[in-house]
Amino acid sequence: MPRVVIDSQKVEVPAGNTILDAARKLGLDIPALCHLDGHPPGTSCMLCLVRVKGRDRLVPSCATLVEEGMEIESESAHVRSLRRTGLELLLADHAGDCIAPCQNVCPAGMDIPSMLRQIAGNRWDDAIVTIRKDIALPAILGRACPELCERGCRLGDIGRPASICMLKRFVADRDLASSTPHLPACQPPSGKSVAILGAGPTGLAAAYHLLLAGHACTLFDERGLPGGSLRTEFDSQQLPPEVIDAEVGVIARLGAGFRMGVCVGRDVSLAGLREEFDAVLVAVGKVTAENAKMLDMRVAKDHLLVNRQTQQTELKGVFAAGRAARPGKLVVRNVADGKRAAVCIDQYLSGVPVTGPQDEFHYRLRHVDSDEATALAPITNQTSKPAPPPNVMEGLTPQQAMTEAARCLHCDCALARTCRLRHYARVYGANPDRYQGGRKTLRRHLEHADVIYEPGKCILCGLCVQIASEAGEPLGLTFVGRGFDVRVEVPFNRSIADGLQHAARLCAEACPTGALVLRTDGCQAGLCGSVEPPRGAQAPAP
Amino acid sequence: MSRKTYKTIALLLGISGVAVVTVCIAWLIAVEISANRREPVEKARLETLVDLSDEEPAELETLYAERDRQTQSRLQRTSRVETASYVLIVSAVLFLVGFKWFVALRGRRLPDINRVNPQRAGCKGGNNRPVLKSGTCPSAGAPCDAQEAAPADLSFVDQAIKGIGRGPEAVIPILNAIQGHYHYLPEAALRHVCQTTEITPAQITGVASFYNHFRRMPGGRHSVKVCHGTACHVAGAQNITDEIRRYLRIDPGQDTDAERLFTVEKVACLGCCTLAPVVQIDGITYGHLTPDTAPAILEDFLAQSESEAGKHDGRPIVKLSAADKHGEIRVGLGSCCVAGGSGKVYTALQQALSETNAAAAIKRVGCVGMCHRTPLVEAITPDGTSSLYAGVNAADAKAIVRRHFKAPSITKRIGNAASALVDDLLSDHQRRFIAHHSIEVRDPPVAAFLGPQKHIATEHCGRLDPTDLDEYIRLDGFQAFERCVKELAPEQVIQEIERSGLRGRGGAGFPTARKWARVCQAGGELKYVVCNGDEGDPGAFMDRMLMESFPYRIIEGMAIAAYAVGAENGYFYIRAEYPLAVQRISEAILECERRNILGDNILGTHRKLRLRIMQGAGAFVCGEETALLASIEGRRGSPRLRPPYPAENGLWGKPTLVNNVETYAAVPWIIRHAAEAFAALGTATSKGTKVFALAGKIKRGGLIEVPMGITIRQIVEEIGGGIKEDRRFKAVQIGGPSGGCIPAYSADTPIDFDALTHAGAIMGSGGLVVLDETDCMVDIAHYFLSFTQNQSCGKCTFCRIGTRRMLDILERLRTGQGRRRDLESLEALAHSVKHGSLCGLGRTAPNPVLTTLRYFHDEYEAHLEGRCPAGKCPALITYRVTDACTGCTLCAQHCPAEAIAFTPYVKHEIDAEKCTRCDICRIKCPEDAIEVT
Repeated sequence: MPRVVIDSQKVEVPAGNTILDAARKLGLDIPALCHLDGHPPGTSCMLCLVRVKGRDRLVPSCATLVEEGMEIESESAHVRSLRRTGLELLLADHAGDCIAPCQNVCPAGMDIPSMLRQIAGNRWDDAIVTIRKDIALPAILGRACPELCERGCRLGDIGRPASICMLKRFVADRDLASSTPHLPACQPPSGKSVAILGAGPTGLAAAYHLLLAGHACTLFDERGLPGGSLRTEFDSQQLPPEVIDAEVGVIARLGAGFRMGVCVGRDVSLAGLREEFDAVLVAVGKVTAENAKMLDMRVAKDHLLVNRQTQQTELKGVFAAGRAARPGKLVVRNVADGKRAAVCIDQYLSGVPVTGPQDEFHYRLRHVDSDEATALAPITNQTSKPAPPPNVMEGLTPQQAMTEAARCLHCDCALARTCRLRHYARVYGANPDRYQGGRKTLRRHLEHADVIYEPGKCILCGLCVQIASEAGEPLGLTFVGRGFDVRVEVPFNRSIADGLQHAARLCAEACPTGALVLRTDGCQAGLCGSVEPPRGAQAPAP
Repeated sequence: MSRKTYKTIALLLGISGVAVVTVCIAWLIAVEISANRREPVEKARLETLVDLSDEEPAELETLYAERDRQTQSRLQRTSRVETASYVLIVSAVLFLVGFKWFVALRGRRLPDINRVNPQRAGCKGGNNRPVLKSGTCPSAGAPCDAQEAAPADLSFVDQAIKGIGRGPEAVIPILNAIQGHYHYLPEAALRHVCQTTEITPAQITGVASFYNHFRRMPGGRHSVKVCHGTACHVAGAQNITDEIRRYLRIDPGQDTDAERLFTVEKVACLGCCTLAPVVQIDGITYGHLTPDTAPAILEDFLAQSESEAGKHDGRPIVKLSAADKHGEIRVGLGSCCVAGGSGKVYTALQQALSETNAAAAIKRVGCVGMCHRTPLVEAITPDGTSSLYAGVNAADAKAIVRRHFKAPSITKRIGNAASALVDDLLSDHQRRFIAHHSIEVRDPPVAAFLGPQKHIATEHCGRLDPTDLDEYIRLDGFQAFERCVKELAPEQVIQEIERSGLRGRGGAGFPTARKWARVCQAGGELKYVVCNGDEGDPGAFMDRMLMESFPYRIIEGMAIAAYAVGAENGYFYIRAEYPLAVQRISEAILECERRNILGDNILGTHRKLRLRIMQGAGAFVCGEETALLASIEGRRGSPRLRPPYPAENGLWGKPTLVNNVETYAAVPWIIRHAAEAFAALGTATSKGTKVFALAGKIKRGGLIEVPMGITIRQIVEEIGGGIKEDRRFKAVQIGGPSGGCIPAYSADTPIDFDALTHAGAIMGSGGLVVLDETDCMVDIAHYFLSFTQNQSCGKCTFCRIGTRRMLDILERLRTGQGRRRDLESLEALAHSVKHGSLCGLGRTAPNPVLTTLRYFHDEYEAHLEGRCPAGKCPALITYRVTDACTGCTLCAQHCPAEAIAFTPYVKHEIDAEKCTRCDICRIKCPEDAIEVT
């Protein structure tokens, strides 16, 4: 068996194995998007390049067989920078977003397309789960949110954006009004406790997410009722107190403790809280010289000095978030801040390094022309002139809500969670904008009953072409054109349904990106949150 | 008003001028005659009256009256004559002006040298397209008559399949045949192919869309191919394309005019670099065009095809046997010469010979190499003296024949002398002809052109009839092959090649013997030899000339290789754009098989060798050997990773030897003259000679073969005669799109594989384009990169997207929209593409960019600032009229974009919006009053 050295690690693999096989045996995750075990090497993505000592060129590891005594360089700066350039080039010709633009602009990062699909599918219980996953106070935000998400909506390019905010409120109200409002399941108790100073939107949101993570929370506020600025900045017409009470009720039912009418610095000291609790979150809203003095913390202008990434203050175990940590007062940002602070505190309490929420890689389409947006519309049988939005909530029927939600263009990627291109783009820190220029057209082919084909996301690995041919498809798929304009199509301009009569599932499963996805994946697309290990990236061989 | 209207006015003016002149003259003559006749009578009458009045004073009255009357009438007559004379003069002037104008307008038709009919007997275009024969149709398909075959009739497809075969490897020949017949690929025909053969829809769709040659939509009746080779590019091919498209009113994104008369295509290289810029309409090549004359060729072409309609042009070429004749006339019939008009000259010479019955044979020879002076004719008199004529016209044929050859019979000689005398009296043609065309090999420029050359691959160039096997054998042809087969073991042949130091001439310079040895040692019964004739570089036409001029030599080289490696089958892979090469090679193969040089019993040794021709279909990447093999197998021409090399795993998985045309052409010489003779030429690591296509801003371009080690400066200054118009020598582009630019100050770099690679270029297949100070290096880099980007197969990420993004940056620079970090980003990306691409195309595509960045960085920086120092990039320059303008209107008359208003005697203005920067006004201005800033 040939023995080779990869990045000074020795490994022995059977003759006939490739460098990629050997690297996987060592647990190295070399990106090989066009490679699938059991198929001849594609050598088209060229991301699996490695340097073999003694050869003047880099070689694709998926197609280079090991030879006795080979010395291979896989993770050197040069090789990694080439891989990153390769990924950046692939992304420079990518027509498709990782997550929908509405979700992208939402400060809380809510998975809006999933919610809309659930509403449109009459799955109200699922919809509230989706909302509550990221948003602690949906009914409040449904009234107090500046609707940033609707500004991102692509429907806006061709007409009226989807009424996302209104639908969210509709779902939340409906849920709160039901006999058994949704209560998300909490993690088992961690035994840790957090003091949250300020029961405004930031504090409430932080408490909500900390409780879900299994930490006990106590909110301190000098005012008599939880809600903070929510009760002062909005009139009761716009944000009725009952809604605030209902949302606070949810958080209380999750187990939050409220110590209202308690002023920190006067009634209790920060030092005392730090002793009593494992962590403290300062979410007192705008910091005045007076209360800063009470807290005995350093202030810049009108907020506390914090690390923006980790929300930590100079004091160990003391975090700050919301208006207390930065200027600006959008409620939705405060809610998002609360969520973010909860992540940081959870990391702190779990004893892992506090890094803040993991920065995910999002590929964003810079410009989508109206032709492209219109071409996406048929997925919902969009009529050219959508009905005007029902601007009064009262009297909005579930049926109307479903119709409105069904207008969604589903800009999000069905494979956002498991896409290998996205995974490696994150791992290699690819900058998707470095080589922007002319790209493929955004298109979606829906003729097939089982799969959806989006040629704009295709990286031309050729696996589907190969699989269709091996499966004996009468028409199959083929590369059409040459050079930059190569695309995968069905011969004679026939539809994808004619081309893939029985190999559709196999092809979709092999696709390294979201170009060819199973319709069932499309329905689950809402669950894209964290990036999980990509599908197809093999675990190291035993 | 159209030119036709002008022409009519001019003609009317001329005719009326003639009429008035005639009337005036007639009247004057009549007046004179009548005056002459009346004068004696009047004189007599006066005398009578004088006599009478002497006698009778009363008559004095009458005398005075008569005298007054006569004086009056004389005065009247004089004044009338005067008026008539004025009228005469004015109308004569009118006549002259009218006809001058008419002639001038007519004269915008191109002079004879520019419009030339290539051999219509070939398969290229023409209305008398030969019917497909036995699977190897050389017809390369200029659409002539899209209506001639309705796609509904698919019997042709069946016929073609029957002739070609039903396997997957038949797909490209079948598509070539369909394209040749219908001028595009009707979908019905493709479906029919899938139904009746093993070819799948996926395969046929993939292949048909991969190759440039195949059209998916019907084109116009005539195909206008605008050459965008390097030489044509630097000579302004883009302006020509724009002008033709504008003239035909073709919308962006379309390639055919509304009447579906012409389809305008850009083609990589027509191989007539010395006639640049060149346009080919169906079979007819027009050279030395300007945007001004370009539309005229379309009219000219239509007029030509109308007048030739019904005429049978494929006249059989009579071959006279050398024995009966006493002299020989050699006509260069390489593509360059053909494009230069040698086909016409050939026919004219034949006619002249048969008219004068002179004792001479007429002979076709391959490329002479002096492509800058095509067509070339060499007359060899019975005593063996040779006279060379360059730039010959068809009209000169008779004179050449008369000058050197005499008819055998006395009466015929007297007749010829008489007719020559009459011709001489009627024109001064012959004198002019002798002064202009005759060149001597002893002439310094000719000596300089031919002197430093060494002919090995092009041995006997200008003497050998490409189609005459006997002559080839007489000149030691197939001696080397016979020696190999009968005296040497395969290993000995390989040793001989190894000792010669021969390296592959296709570009990378891999040692030939090592390749042969690998194939020889590879196991297995079945092996292949392949000749790579897919020369696709813009600005390179060496392989084409070798195949056209020396088909037997290449076959011999290939046969030796096949013997050495143990192969019994071989393929020529030749571009479909080279119909003449396909024709010559296929004829030569047939002839060799007939004589048992090829076939099942080679030279009586019971060895076998079958050679076949596979036509490419317009994909530069197929020059890469793995892509080439994929193409022969009937797949898209996408390269694959090497190793495994074709030597172990080639055509259909069998060991395969792939060598370039020129490599094979050098082999027979090496075997005949011993390896040492070859190794004595050249440098330490590069032995022998290299053929180059020398073109660009050079005085003498053409096909040259030089010993390795010669410097670039020697080639440019000695062989090429320096830069045209005595401009400053700036750089040479060597190696085409994979090569690089070497600046003038490094011109002492020798022609040597390693020295060129070190300088950032490559030897390449041999395009050598000389650039002068008016060439913009950013534009050159953009030009080459847009070629490789367009020709990328699209398989691997770096080449597919990387070259496109590099091109985006160059495009920004060229249009003055460069961004601050563009140069760094361009260079970084260029290095990534170089390292990350799968095959040679992508790995070398950044070379033109990297070398220009390295040697001409200041020009890139100037573009960042929005300046083009060479004054070439249209977006960065403006044309202005200076005060030197005299208002002569020449610029306004010639401006194709109507950007200059017609204001006689007043300083002209150029409308910058309409101006296309075609440079015509500057060329036309007699006062140098056009300024480019």
